[in-house]
Amino acid sequence: MMNATPTTSRPEAAFVLLLLQAIFWMVAGLSALPFALAGEVHMIGLGLATLLLALFVCLMGIGVLWRRRWARRAALVVEVTCMLGAGLTLLPPLGANRGPVALLVNVALPIAVIWLLWGRRTRALFT
Amino acid sequence: MYNVSAEHAIGIVGGLIALPIALLALRFHPRWRSVPGTVQAAAVLMAVTAGVHLSLIPHHLATQPLTSLLFLFNGAAFITLAASFTWRWWRLASAAMLVATVFGYLFYVAVGLEGPDQVGIATKLVEVTALGLALVPVRGEVGRTHRSWRWASLGVAMPLLLVITGATVWIADLARPDARHVHAGALLQSTNTFPTPPQLAAANALYAETKSAIQPFEDWHQAWAAGYRPGGSTTLPSTHWMNQRYVDAGYVMDPQRPQGLVYANTHHGPVLLGAMFQMKNINQFGPDPGGPITAWHQHENICFTPIGFEFSLMTPFATCPIGAIDITASPMLHIWVVDNPHGGPFAVDIDPTVVAALDRT
Repeated sequence: MMNATPTTSRPEAAFVLLLLQAIFWMVAGLSALPFALAGEVHMIGLGLATLLLALFVCLMGIGVLWRRRWARRAALVVEVTCMLGAGLTLLPPLGANRGPVALLVNVALPIAVIWLLWGRRTRALFT
Repeated sequence: MYNVSAEHAIGIVGGLIALPIALLALRFHPRWRSVPGTVQAAAVLMAVTAGVHLSLIPHHLATQPLTSLLFLFNGAAFITLAASFTWRWWRLASAAMLVATVFGYLFYVAVGLEGPDQVGIATKLVEVTALGLALVPVRGEVGRTHRSWRWASLGVAMPLLLVITGATVWIADLARPDARHVHAGALLQSTNTFPTPPQLAAANALYAETKSAIQPFEDWHQAWAAGYRPGGSTTLPSTHWMNQRYVDAGYVMDPQRPQGLVYANTHHGPVLLGAMFQMKNINQFGPDPGGPITAWHQHENICFTPIGFEFSLMTPFATCPIGAIDITASPMLHIWVVDNPHGGPFAVDIDPTVVAALDRT
């Protein structure tokens, strides 16, 4: 089935993870909108901003797939920011969920994307 | 949905054990290095999901033999697929198996055979990730790679599976909460099932004392003067007014100093609905003199934003909108001083029709 050994498939793997993340953001953005209908007016803005972020992460994934340098940089910035956000939410005693799903989505996924895109050899693939 | 079910906890152990075993064992495959990293990762993830399914068999064997059989089939199939990544039909077989497994779980959740929990959702995320990695075309592949079919399948299957999974588990969780969960994930204090006569008397005494103590606050100006401030949007049907001094002081169920008051936002101004006692720390439920009548509740997994002090619910994928963070509000007990036909004076929620009627009067 596998007919060749590509040099690396790290960008493709990162694309899959970024697509997953974009869908998670999309669901989060959509989930805010019913609350806006119920009277929480600021949720409209937050929901729409989250949907825009989802779109950006999806485009960033496509950019990574096409080996675009800006996309790799943007992905690293977004994932490091996500890691910082996860740390600020999960470490203090705010009662944030620390279940397997939260750890997979908010910690493991950003770490995996950073790991896939980090390093000089991977950077050399991007133009 | 946000908890690990006791009978599924072993699944996490199974998955974690399978991960290093798969990483080590698959390296000995003679053609391991000849396939792209995406295929390798998909094979490892399928071995992980096999580990989860196989480890769940002992717990389900006695009560759900058919489910155990399906778990066995699932585990064996995923192990076989993980090891046969050089097979010509590997992608098609893997995709079919992964999609069937996700839909199988969703069927179980939808018909109530299984409650949605963290292990189930996490396993589905692993499976959807494996599906994406198995399908994604890699630059440099030659021969009959069926790239267009793979792109089309990837672009449709991943978003669709995730949205259907999220919607199904969310609807099932809200429609069929367990005994200790009420509306939108509020966790009830554990109590005896039926109130005893002394508990009934204690609840009535607490109600009378609180109602009398907060009567002056029917005039919201008095509440304002006492230090209560709206704690959220006033465009909602009702708003909790909080007294930060009482919150910080940590008074425990003191009718003279309730941490919050609840007002209906009517067109003729705020109308007092009741009082709210709140504990200072999460997971510390307050005294419960009325037993099941006065059970406290704690709101878990809510997305809170300081922008407008508004709330939404965390998604099944543990995400909140930008600008909101996942928090748990410390335990609270409401005492409704207006008639609350659905639930009574200590209910978690006020009946929305009561609030609407107040607005009309």
